[in-house]
Amino acid sequence: MKPRPPTLRQKRRYILAEVIPHYRRIEPRQMYIAAFEALSSLWGDAHTSELQMAVISCECGYCIFRCTRGSEAFVETALSTVTEVNGERVALHPMATSGTLHALKTRMRPLPEEHTLEGVELAGVMYSGIIFQRQKVDLYAKGIKNQETLYFTRDEMEVD
Amino acid sequence: MGCTDACVFPYPQGDTSLRRFTLEARRLGLNALVCIDAEERGHIHDVLVRRGVVIEGESMQEVVAQVKKAQRTADLILVKAGDAAFNRAVLTYRGVHILRGLHRAPKRVFDQVSAKNAADKGVAIDIDLSPLIHLRGAGRQKSLQCYRDVLQLHRKYRFPLTISSGAQTLLDLRSVREITHLCAVFGMEPHEVEDALETVDRLLEPSGPVEVI
Repeated sequence: MKPRPPTLRQKRRYILAEVIPHYRRIEPRQMYIAAFEALSSLWGDAHTSELQMAVISCECGYCIFRCTRGSEAFVETALSTVTEVNGERVALHPMATSGTLHALKTRMRPLPEEHTLEGVELAGVMYSGIIFQRQKVDLYAKGIKNQETLYFTRDEMEVD
Repeated sequence: MGCTDACVFPYPQGDTSLRRFTLEARRLGLNALVCIDAEERGHIHDVLVRRGVVIEGESMQEVVAQVKKAQRTADLILVKAGDAAFNRAVLTYRGVHILRGLHRAPKRVFDQVSAKNAADKGVAIDIDLSPLIHLRGAGRQKSLQCYRDVLQLHRKYRFPLTISSGAQTLLDLRSVREITHLCAVFGMEPHEVEDALETVDRLLEPSGPVEVI
């Protein structure tokens, strides 16, 4: 099909959202499903179809969404209500909106360096975890996937 | 004056420690947190931590007893909403700062009489964002309806409003930008959101006539 001339194309906007925790690897397709569910449950099917939301990229702790111009606030609101993607708890924090992808990419910071942590005992449960940004410690109960996660800081854990 | 999240539950009630909450709050543009049963107070990582206590009681006598006990240790006292008579009694009691959980209470438990009581005594009504974030369908619609109703009464009677995330994990905390968007869903204007985020400071330091010491 022949593409439309630029004057007839619909104007688009791009939204940069931060994914918390940054180390969750999320497929763009899974992110689309979660975001679309949030959009349609909050704004209804009719309004969601007008927003034309799409996931452009989902990597390095950031996700870029596309929508029609003027509908950024609706998409951002819905993204704030995303609590899990593919069964894993995440939070999406919309950070910036722009008309170009280039402008958003300048806002993306490189992933923080991580160090793994093994054999931390807390209230009789063994945890393994990750230390990043020098002071943040995320702990996972050892064993089964998707088990309890605890979020602490390094000075509370008293680890070296 | 700063933006305050009026209710978060740090570890052991939640899965995030108090210090980690403050780190995340600073990143999200919040200046203060009301932490329920927090062990520390004061400025941590440039975020002001206030100790809050949530009181749940069947009768007003129970609430009064718990409020008297909590006044010694807490900066802010929050009471969970109940039926209409209970709410009216709570809103006229001086020691209470915030009435929360109205979205969970039955319909029409917060009416114009309660609104006037809240305005007279300076007790704030809390808007908890967790049902907007976590619930879907009828539950969320009921919460939105409740908040619209509270907002309508707030615009008429001018009682204070607070906004809280009710976060038990750092994943539930929301930035000021997100809070503004979420509150816009039930018709709250950005300047009203800004005002509500600063209410906690005003509750603890109410403005009064100038006194000569």
